[in-house]
Amino acid sequence: MTEMIKLFVNGEEVEVESGKNLIDALEKVGIEIPHFCYHPALGADGNCRMCLVGIEDGRPPVVPACKTLAKEGMKVLLDADNIKKIQHDVMELEFINHPTDCPICDQAGECKLQDYYMKYEGTESRMWVPQVTKRKMQDFGGGVIHDQERCVACGRCVRFLRQITRTGELGLVNRGDDCRVEFFPGRPINNRYGLNVVDLCPVGALTSADFRFKQRAWFLKRAESICHGCSKGCNIMVDHNKEKYEDDIIYRLRPRQNEQVNGWFMCDEGRMTYKLENDNRLEECTLAGAVRPLADIFADAERRIERATKVLFLVSPSASLEQLAAVQALAEKTGATVSAFSDGYIVKDDGDDFLIKDDKAANRAGVDLLGIAKSRTHFDNMAKEADVFINFGNDLSRSLSEEQIGRLFSDTWVLNGATHPGQLGAVMEKKVGSSIALRSWSEYHGVVVNCDGIAQKFVGGVMKNVERPDIVEMAAGLGSPATGTAAAWALVQKKIPALAEFGGFLELPAEGVKLTDNEAGK
Amino acid sequence: MMQEAKILSAKFAIKNSNKLTVAKKHGAYQTLDKLFSSKQGDVIEIVKNSGLRGRGGAGFPTGMKWSFLPKGLDKPVYLAVNADESEPGTFKDRYILAQDPHLLIEGIIIACYAINSHDAYIYIRGEYTTQRTILQNAIDEACKAGLIGEKVGKQNYRINITIHRGAGAYICGEETALLESIEGKKGQPRSKPPFPAVEGLYACPTIINNVQSIASLPWIIQNGAMAYKRYGIESATGTHLFGISGHVEKPGVYELPFGLPLLDVINEMAGGVWKGRKLKGVIPGGSSCPVLTPEEAATATLDYASMAEHKTMFGSGGIVVLDETVSMPELAVNLTQFYHHESCGQCTPCREGLGWMEKILKKIVAGEATMRDLNLVRELCDNIEGKTVCVLAAACTMPIRALLDKYRDEFEALLKPEPTDAVTEASAEQE
Repeated sequence: MTEMIKLFVNGEEVEVESGKNLIDALEKVGIEIPHFCYHPALGADGNCRMCLVGIEDGRPPVVPACKTLAKEGMKVLLDADNIKKIQHDVMELEFINHPTDCPICDQAGECKLQDYYMKYEGTESRMWVPQVTKRKMQDFGGGVIHDQERCVACGRCVRFLRQITRTGELGLVNRGDDCRVEFFPGRPINNRYGLNVVDLCPVGALTSADFRFKQRAWFLKRAESICHGCSKGCNIMVDHNKEKYEDDIIYRLRPRQNEQVNGWFMCDEGRMTYKLENDNRLEECTLAGAVRPLADIFADAERRIERATKVLFLVSPSASLEQLAAVQALAEKTGATVSAFSDGYIVKDDGDDFLIKDDKAANRAGVDLLGIAKSRTHFDNMAKEADVFINFGNDLSRSLSEEQIGRLFSDTWVLNGATHPGQLGAVMEKKVGSSIALRSWSEYHGVVVNCDGIAQKFVGGVMKNVERPDIVEMAAGLGSPATGTAAAWALVQKKIPALAEFGGFLELPAEGVKLTDNEAGK
Repeated sequence: MMQEAKILSAKFAIKNSNKLTVAKKHGAYQTLDKLFSSKQGDVIEIVKNSGLRGRGGAGFPTGMKWSFLPKGLDKPVYLAVNADESEPGTFKDRYILAQDPHLLIEGIIIACYAINSHDAYIYIRGEYTTQRTILQNAIDEACKAGLIGEKVGKQNYRINITIHRGAGAYICGEETALLESIEGKKGQPRSKPPFPAVEGLYACPTIINNVQSIASLPWIIQNGAMAYKRYGIESATGTHLFGISGHVEKPGVYELPFGLPLLDVINEMAGGVWKGRKLKGVIPGGSSCPVLTPEEAATATLDYASMAEHKTMFGSGGIVVLDETVSMPELAVNLTQFYHHESCGQCTPCREGLGWMEKILKKIVAGEATMRDLNLVRELCDNIEGKTVCVLAAACTMPIRALLDKYRDEFEALLKPEPTDAVTEASAEQE
């Protein structure tokens, strides 16, 4: 446990964690100190001067909170008249050369300038002389668009690219009110984490070319989720909205803080995976090439499973623990074999030492914890023997070519549960007995285990117009004893004792549960 | 009759005094034997006792600054000599650099030995090209003669001196911005603490001294602290190179002891206000020091305490004399323009505020401003000052505040009446 210390804010005693600066320490107990340039992941710079606070009996009496360590007995003044005046004056100075184009700015609604104006300034502009004009809509590369006039020169983007990615594409150039963020000529942002500067920017100076002008921030619904782009399991926020008469659409993914996993950041590729959730989705369920109700497909498949000599289930290594357990239960009941063959999900040498991993599966550790086989030989042997093959959302086209898939299942009756077309290869999909359009990860709840053995929950907030089953429902339709996520979660708990104490997936702590190797082995 | 005290400027008038042979003939490097036979702590004591205060503008006691170095660190200690003389109205260090560079080098040897440093950096203003060439030649000569280098003065003590040229930024004269610049970064002041004496150049303990402070050392070591104290007054000992410029008959650099009456110096040394005109004001120590009216100047003496009493600063001793023809609003524009241009752009108040002040002052001078503009710019002086990492913002707001307060009628004379529609607008808003 961290040591706690007592200090005074405006004369009232508060208990805070030691070893933190005043901004972080007081934020934890719900006291806000306004700031632009300080960010916990980037450290204190001290240039915005917005976090100046008074220290009673202190020398000097006014200090930047970002550079001041919380100390036992410290008397911090936030509501003193001189501090309020400083906040007001600094805000006024931030504003004099700001274009105040909130109606056309994507940051509006989540902008610190707006928030602080309402809270700390709130007076009429006194800028009775012409403003400084700078460049607008500058392409910074990497999908980042810069508006120099909106910039408050806090340097967060510059520090991120120097300290975190160590690529250093951006710098603060020029002096005085001509100071601006620029990239070196001919060397725009070029790294796999560049879009994080958009989140870091406290104002609307850096916006995402992908997101800008698509949606106002206040219309977006937010769902706390886990990125399914690779096995790192970065914590993300899914920002989506369903406009009238339209489908529920995801507009962007943003990183969500989790010190254990991704800190404050995520990669650009992961950020763009929302497009797969929106576009080119399978919509219909078919039986022998004709669109049919789900119940008919389930009844037909159930009959075929009963009559078959050998049945093979293929699960996705990105499926949630609940989904895997539900399919496992169905296999145990029907005597089918389960494989999680997914060699193609691993992209050799694609990962780095920060967030991106070679393994593009979100729950491979979960597959191992539940004891599901995933080797190529096992899959090949079983596929050759099987006369019924059911795919539960595995993108087999990543691992095998169309011909290989065709050869393996030439005499097999196939039920393809998939989110997107082409997951069994275009040729095979024309020949399948049935197909079921599945929900994708942004549309269901569950738990996945990341590459470091941390079990993390995620919430599916997106409600598509087309009703689709998720894999738990598909398995239940085919006769699995796990008739719903709650029943499936009970099965998971039996296999992974470390999760036994959590009544439901929602009870998992926000930072996740570290499943050590020992517990996994039990 | 007032007379110059030639301590620093002793060799200024000698031909080729920047050559080693000439300098040596006139007493250069004679302190080295005495220096190396003293203990390092004793040298610091002598400098402390001499009462020498930093000549860069802040006037911080030099010996005390040295004693802030942490003891028992295994990191190297650096000496940085501030030769980035950029304050408008200040032109004293350039004389030492050009006329007597060996005095500076000798001073560096003393300072390095006292603080146990082996590497000194001279950060020289980029525009000082002639001075740099002369200084570099002098360093080369001294090196060849074995005065600096591996074995300083045949002692087992290494001192290397490196010249680092600035690229034309006033802010690099601020000690931490100077360090950033030497490190190859953008010249921006650092937040303190940590102070440079603890964590300075390349995160090592560093002492930063002005050229004139360093150049004062040989005389102090040679003649002792008590001899030095005989010049000047108790709170400000020794002599100072005063650069007198502006509307005087004989502008130039004069070496004088501290404590002399300001007007006497202007009248007796610099020949008084030129062309028999009347005095309008005096900027006592470089452009960042608040202006003194003739009445204030009459009671001021040239030392730190008197200047503080008159709510201005001794600064760098760059005295700018303003005659009755000077337009104070235009002076305000000129000064603000300079500080706005030189603001490093780091802290919000200075970055945004100085440009704003410049525009408002220009509007006043152009005759387009009203009373609310004048009140605003006066208020801005208070709003900007004291909220930033360094004192550049204050270096602008302090003299402008003084000009606005002491010569307000001159500004008001330029105003046009408040437009009536603005008045009705304002009253409509209030309702």
